[in-house]
Amino acid sequence: MKQLLLILSFFMLSQSATVQAAAGYAITLESAQNNLRDQDSLKRGAILFSNYCMACHSLKYMRYNRIARNLGWDEDAIVAEMAYGQSTVVENVTTRMLPGVAMDVFGTEPPDLSLMSRLKGPDYIYSFLRGYEQDETGAWDNHLLKGTVMPNVLEGIQRHENEEEYAQAARDITNFLEYVGEPSKMERLDLGWKVIAFLLVLLLLAYLLKREYWKDIKH
Amino acid sequence: MSEQSKQQSSLLAWFDKRYPLISTWNKHVGEYYAPKNFNFWYFFGALALLVFVNQIVTGIWLTMSYKPSAAEAFNSIEYIMRDVNWGWLIRYMHSTGASAFFLVVYLHMMRGLLYGSYKEPRELVWILGMMLFLVLMAEAFMGYLLPWGQMSYWGAQVIISLFGAIPVIGPDLALWVRGDFVISDVTLNRFFALHVIALPLVLVILIFMHIVALHQVGSNNPDGVEIKKYKNDKGLPIDGIPFHPYYSVKDSMGAVFFMTLFALVIFYAPEGGGYFMEAPNFEPANPLKTPDHIAPVWYFTPFYAILRAIPDKFLGVVAMGGAIAVLFAMPWLDRCKVKSIRYRGLSFKILLTILVVSFVVLGWLGTQPATPELTKLAQIFTALYFMFFLVLPFTSVNEKTKPVPERVT
Repeated sequence: MKQLLLILSFFMLSQSATVQAAAGYAITLESAQNNLRDQDSLKRGAILFSNYCMACHSLKYMRYNRIARNLGWDEDAIVAEMAYGQSTVVENVTTRMLPGVAMDVFGTEPPDLSLMSRLKGPDYIYSFLRGYEQDETGAWDNHLLKGTVMPNVLEGIQRHENEEEYAQAARDITNFLEYVGEPSKMERLDLGWKVIAFLLVLLLLAYLLKREYWKDIKH
Repeated sequence: MSEQSKQQSSLLAWFDKRYPLISTWNKHVGEYYAPKNFNFWYFFGALALLVFVNQIVTGIWLTMSYKPSAAEAFNSIEYIMRDVNWGWLIRYMHSTGASAFFLVVYLHMMRGLLYGSYKEPRELVWILGMMLFLVLMAEAFMGYLLPWGQMSYWGAQVIISLFGAIPVIGPDLALWVRGDFVISDVTLNRFFALHVIALPLVLVILIFMHIVALHQVGSNNPDGVEIKKYKNDKGLPIDGIPFHPYYSVKDSMGAVFFMTLFALVIFYAPEGGGYFMEAPNFEPANPLKTPDHIAPVWYFTPFYAILRAIPDKFLGVVAMGGAIAVLFAMPWLDRCKVKSIRYRGLSFKILLTILVVSFVVLGWLGTQPATPELTKLAQIFTALYFMFFLVLPFTSVNEKTKPVPERVT
């Protein structure tokens, strides 16, 4: 039993260390508090992503029909709302920027965002989107990534809508990007407890079988 | 006897006449007598075998969709994660399986140290086990390159560059291993070949030999006494019980318990808090951009910490190799006649505690950036790690042991 606890504590230790590892940079992140089960938020996030991010960024590992299937969206509707009819539903989410333009304008290629949530975590994305500050001269910079060439894309929402709506917009985009990072995540979480419940029943049966066989062994 | 079972038994007889089916089964399973007092620590051998099967089976399915090329490897992993039916589950089973493999193997080795399972007459069982450990490390290392993420790439770059530290032949050796001046498509292809064919084949042979050698000498037990000493009138050990059904049902129970924990990780923490899958590996390999902090996966970190603790690169490589190599010599370094820690003296208990603590602390240090303070700490624990093997031959000769019981308790 003691050894058992030892192993369990090992797993828990590795869990608590995560938080430390994530906080390895000397920055504090705002908690995104997004909810992958909130399909309306995911849909809003997808449309916001299309309007505010896709001018430069792509989701090259994500297909429109997969998004439609997972978010309970009509296939025609998603192409109309996210791609303005410019893509077919089986295509991956590509950027609207023509090749080479980013290099000329920004001097860098905007990264593909399919796995950004797994690379940096949702809190980072949320904090990054909200991390822009304007100095006296009116120039924008992001306190999470000084000198970034990415503009403050949510500036319009930040200026013209209230704080709650601004936060919600950033949260919806973050939520959508977390979903894109691992589209099977909800399926995984929903399947897991069933597998574990089955294994626990099997464990009970295996224990009873073992006990039955071992009855005749004297210690 | 019914018509059907008569047919079956005659088929079995036909087969057995041409292949030693029944005698092999009896020798290794049905009439293999194992001590009846196995405790919790004795689950891990069977569990290691279970994880091995898991790796082979999930590995075969991953290979069906994986593309071993620098241009396509990363994409094909995402294809598996997104477009292949159950691909995400198969991949998580494989990646979590790698960590689980080392976890159970470390505990399995710990059992050997606790109960003196490496001692006469089981020296060869231990050596074969150590060879398995070594090949497993190579297998895991090469497998980690295959996703072609940033940490895959730079981890391999760092480790292979270590060959370069060997005097005279070093640089050419590193070049020969990589097949290129940096880790490249060529390296990925050969690592793939070694990971999916060569090393698994070696593992299968070594596992076979490990088990055959064990069954030749018989299993040790938590009391460290030989059950073959006392036999009944049929010539069977009094304190032994047939592996099947007693340990087959017990190990099944252990297997299901393990699978429950395994499922917990697969479904609810497949990244293992960044220790089983490192976050930088979700970015494709980029030879022009070094990550801020390169750390190997947790199961290599104790040895990595030893490597970094030594200021000289070549001596660091020697120390890291030595930390593994010295374990091979355990049967001869430990000169105490008593096997089990239950009846051994205080000196061994203290030494073993130091070894385990150093190993764990070094493991943690290996995940951290090498600051001057942490490097100092790593040097202290490296010294303590090696102290175990240096001091043991002297203390174990005159150890104040307790009387060992004649039979298992």
